[in-house]
Order: sequence, then structure tokens, then C-alpha cells
Amino acid sequence: MHIYAFGSVCRGEIDSKSDIDLLAVVDGYDNRFDLSIYSIYSYNRLSDLWQEGNPFAWHLASEAKIIYSSNGKDFIKQLGLPAEYNKCIEDCRKFYNLYCKAVDSICSGGSSLVFEMSTIFLAIRNFATCFLLGKKQIGNFSRRSALQIGDRSIQISPDTFDLLERSRILSIRGTGKMIEKEEVRSSLEEISSIKIWMNDLLVEVETNG
Amino acid sequence: MDEFNNRMDAQRNILEVINRQAGYTEELCGLSKNAIERWISSNHLNPRAEICEILFQITNKLFFLANKSQEQITEEYKLLSSEISALKITLEKAMG
Repeated sequence: MHIYAFGSVCRGEIDSKSDIDLLAVVDGYDNRFDLSIYSIYSYNRLSDLWQEGNPFAWHLASEAKIIYSSNGKDFIKQLGLPAEYNKCIEDCRKFYNLYCKAVDSICSGGSSLVFEMSTIFLAIRNFATCFLLGKKQIGNFSRRSALQIGDRSIQISPDTFDLLERSRILSIRGTGKMIEKEEVRSSLEEISSIKIWMNDLLVEVETNG
Repeated sequence: MDEFNNRMDAQRNILEVINRQAGYTEELCGLSKNAIERWISSNHLNPRAEICEILFQITNKLFFLANKSQEQITEEYKLLSSEISALKITLEKAMG
């Protein structure tokens, strides 16, 4: 068994919204772990992710820190670098579709506003991370990756970005100030404009792969 | 539709069953254990009520939707679609 920390705490991105991401790598089924605290992978599955060049493998390779090893070795370090990431187009389209569906749900009167706003945050963050990894060969696994693409960064106000991030934290951790309908309504135009940003980056991704 | 977005749809459909119902002080923000516990507390519900227990069962099936960081990108977990659909029907019945 191996246990790692990864995520914001390993990047030194500490703020009031930081939590600690923990990964357990186990052999087969292990029911000792609280699934709301640990991400659990088998050794074989993690090795497969490395061979696929999956963004999560790149994420772990770049920042996971070992906390416990039952055999005294660092399993992730032994895996070396993951294979080249080659699903950028597919993944960016996937997160574009995820974003579109969430916006459609809000605009058509869906009842789960916080969940939809949280989904938009997830979509833009993962879209940006996949774009940077696939197109620029940059591993950026920050919650704020969409703001860190230089002149290709997402153009939304800090208030709207914070609203989306607040929704994500409410949806996952159940903490924070509840989102009011009026807040969503007043940011909807800006949120809808994210589609243009995604479309522009998709064109870049789809051009020359 | 890919497996990842299918799982997000499954979560959306469950949340709509709860949130389209009038009368709750706060909406259910997600299907993570923590989000459900907040919803139960803010709406002064009994955690042992049938609706709450069904939601926790669904969470156990869908825990991978509430996980962290880039893990969402992976296609690690299989969608337990038939079980979740059955739980959605049970939830709808429990909601009256």
C-alpha cells in the first residue's frame, strides 16, 4: 500500500479554500478507506493511466508526495514520466459539451443552480488543463488553470470566477455561503460568453492536433 | 455521449428530483456526502428519513463524481446506471 498527498497543498497554493487531496494505491479491494477523503487506485490501474498518458497521471507525476509506503519504495517515482498525452481534442470537446449542457440547464429553468455552476467551474478548469497539457505541453493542475494561459486565459471577472469556484466548493465540500439566484442571474451573460473562449481554444486544438 | 458526461447527467437527474420540489430552505448542491449532510442540516431533516438514506445510497454509487482534482478526467469507474436508475425511481416514490 502506498499513500500520497497531491493537489493544492503540494503546489503551495494555500488559501481558505484549500483542502488536502489524498491518494491510496492498493492491491485489489480495500474497504478501510473513506471514499470521501481518499482517491483509491489499484497498482495496475495507475500503471495503465501512465501508459495512456492520462492527465491524472501527469498530475500525480508532477506533484504527488509520498506519505506512506509499505515496501519502503516510491511507486509513483518508479513509474517515471507518463506517456505523451494524445487525447486533447477528445477531452476538450468533452468538457465543452459539459459546459454547454450546464448553461442550457440554467437557461431552461433547471432547479439545481449550484450544481450547474459547479459543473461549469469543473468544465473550464479541466478544459484549460487539457488544453495546456495537450497543446502547450504544460502541466498546470491548479483550480485556476483557466486564468493561467497567458493571452489565451479566460476573460471573466474575478467576481464571476469566485462565484463559480464557490459553487464548486458547495457542491463537493458542502461548505461556504449559499449561492443566491440573483447572483447567478447577474453573471449569466458573462458565463454564456465562456463559450466563445472555449470555441477559440477548440479551433486551436483541432488545428494541427 | 462519453461515460464521464453520462455520469454527470445521472447526477443532474437525481438532483432535479430533489430540487424541483418546493419548500426546501436550501437546494441540494451536489451528491457528495458533505453536500448531502449540509442539505439535511439546513433543511432540518431527519438523517434517517427514507429520502436521506436513498441519497446516501446513491452517493455510494456515485462517489466518483464527487472526487477531486484531475481525477474527473479519468474514466476510472464504470457507471452503475441500472442501479442508479432504480434508486432514482425509489427516490421519486419517496418524494411522493
